[in-house]
Amino acid sequence: MIYVALRMLLGDRGKYFALLVGITFVSFVVTQQSAVFIGLMTRTFGPITDTGIADVWVMDPKVQYIDDIKPMQDTALLRVRGVEGVDWAVPLYKSLLRARLHDGRFQSANVFGLDDATLAGGPPEMLEGSLTDLRINDGVIVDTWGAHGKLAKPPASPGEAPTPLKIGDTLELNDHRAVVVGICKVSRTFQSQPVLYTTYSRAMKFAPSERKLLSFILVKARPGADLDALCERIKSSTRLTAYTKAGFRELTMRYYMKYTGIPINFGTAVILGFLVGIAIAGQVFYSFTLENLKHFGALKAMGASDGTLLAMIVVQVSHVAAIGYGIGVGVASLFGYLMSGTELAFRLPWQLLLGSAGAVFLVSILAAIISLRKVVKLEPAVVFKN
Amino acid sequence: MTSSDKIIIRCKDVRKSYGSGDTRVQALRGVDLEVREGEMLMLVGPSGCGKTTLISILAGTLDADGGECNVLGSDLRALGAREKTQFRARSIGFVFQTFNLLPTLTAVENTAVPLLIRGVARAKAFDRAKELLNQVGLGGRERALPSQLSGGQQQRVAIARSLVHDPALIVCDEPTSALDHDTGARIMSIFRDVALAAHRTLVIVTHDNRIFNYGDRIARMDDGIIMEVRENEALAAAS
Ligand SMILES: Nc1ncnc2c1ncn2[C@@H]1O[C@H](COP(=O)(O)OP(=O)(O)OP(=O)(O)O)[C@@H](O)[C@H]1O
Ligand SMILES: [Mg+2]
Repeated sequence: MIYVALRMLLGDRGKYFALLVGITFVSFVVTQQSAVFIGLMTRTFGPITDTGIADVWVMDPKVQYIDDIKPMQDTALLRVRGVEGVDWAVPLYKSLLRARLHDGRFQSANVFGLDDATLAGGPPEMLEGSLTDLRINDGVIVDTWGAHGKLAKPPASPGEAPTPLKIGDTLELNDHRAVVVGICKVSRTFQSQPVLYTTYSRAMKFAPSERKLLSFILVKARPGADLDALCERIKSSTRLTAYTKAGFRELTMRYYMKYTGIPINFGTAVILGFLVGIAIAGQVFYSFTLENLKHFGALKAMGASDGTLLAMIVVQVSHVAAIGYGIGVGVASLFGYLMSGTELAFRLPWQLLLGSAGAVFLVSILAAIISLRKVVKLEPAVVFKN
Repeated sequence: MTSSDKIIIRCKDVRKSYGSGDTRVQALRGVDLEVREGEMLMLVGPSGCGKTTLISILAGTLDADGGECNVLGSDLRALGAREKTQFRARSIGFVFQTFNLLPTLTAVENTAVPLLIRGVARAKAFDRAKELLNQVGLGGRERALPSQLSGGQQQRVAIARSLVHDPALIVCDEPTSALDHDTGARIMSIFRDVALAAHRTLVIVTHDNRIFNYGDRIARMDDGIIMEVRENEALAAAS
């Protein structure tokens, strides 16, 4: 009867394509919207992802997210280095500083100051120059988005595109000269500020004079160490707080969720899209079964059991769901691929694929079960009615 | 034809009503009926007298409210829903007024459905279905869809389908009412030739007095009861 179920489904090309289009559309909308949402949320903790070398981030207990800087005493570094299970620990300076551009405009930029000795915590990918070029006097490394965008020089002649910042160009950070020695690639950030890397000691020079400047301490754990336990030990012996990479990401994301309203508002749109998609999928399958109710009635009269009819509907539904989902996700991926050079935040981790697949199938099966109730309640005698 | 004296359907005081309260309709008011093995019984009567209701009960697609009904050795009252489904799959062939073929299935696939329901392998089911299509004169049209067949041809597919699993009882509700007279007559002779093989019994509901004469006996219903059952003298004289 599985054969009969598929013949019922595939025999009517028009209806079959209508079903497919419905499920494809739903899968596309659900996947695409969620991918953009996840992409956007990923940006909130871009710098944490980029600084992948650190197992644990140590900071002032009042810090609420990555961009919330509450400087610590420099001595904190020594205390952290003394905690058992810490392989090494380096300082990281992070702050939003004012850069003065060629044409006199000001642009705020995210400045990272890396440990002078190790340069640990540098950009994930160098496009031009190398990280060690930071040892050059006044050297800074600029991220490519910033170099081509907000930090770019005015066009050579009016009406042309701005000239990107390149190695050897200078800019001013709080009235201190800085020379571009490299171009790097970083994860996009939520506010899309340009990103500059320099050494910790040079960052001290750029920074407005303050008493405390140590933003974070990056910790590498001894191989095999239990990271959660290490965080606990750091907390109890330093009166600072410590998060694993994942923990700090979550803290940051939660902060954005809770206080910026942007993710929540966008999330509502995603959930709405999801619900609309689900409603369409349900509707599509429900009406398909209803149209076939008369035929299911005839099969029932001829002795097909409710179990057989259920199996038939499940086969029909999962066939359409599988193919429609495949096409929908394919189109969504293509969309993400084609837009990958733009500002669009698009991320499609396997968890999302699994989740949207689960949702589409669940809805489909649910719709099938609801329509099946009709079939089960169907009096086989109705086939004698015309 | 091969009608014996063995009784295979025995109904006593069968009652059935629809709805409740003011809208309650008493469709069967105590039907007594006996059907012999191997006969073709025509069930006739005015519209609304309860013919469809009665054969639905005989075929196990509808439950009676009261009375006894023994069909093919099974007491229908005693069967649970699951057993009734199996009873239908095993023992009953159906021919519906509006054919009720699956529109996306070919003639041979439609014919094979009762075998597929019983779990017979597809190849075997299709072979048997082809045999029956040959018997009803549709050899060569096995791969046609219902929409590519005339009404009479569709009804012949439906007849082949009702026979494919060798059921002991075939019930038909107005099998010719959607067909013109000549086609209806052809359908009835196919029924007599093919369906009434040994020990197979037919109960045919009809309005169509032109086909009464194909039956071995004619049961006349009115207002929820069987008024009379008479032998078909014309047929008896002819044989
Ligand atoms: N599902 C139902 N709900 C309510 N009343 C019904 C239902 N089915 C049949 N009836 C009523 O029961 C009575 C008998 O109906 P049935 O269909 O058995 O008559 P019939 O002899 O087959 O008529 P026809 O020749 O028009 O097909 C009629 O009065 C009809 O209106
Ligand atoms: Mg009727």
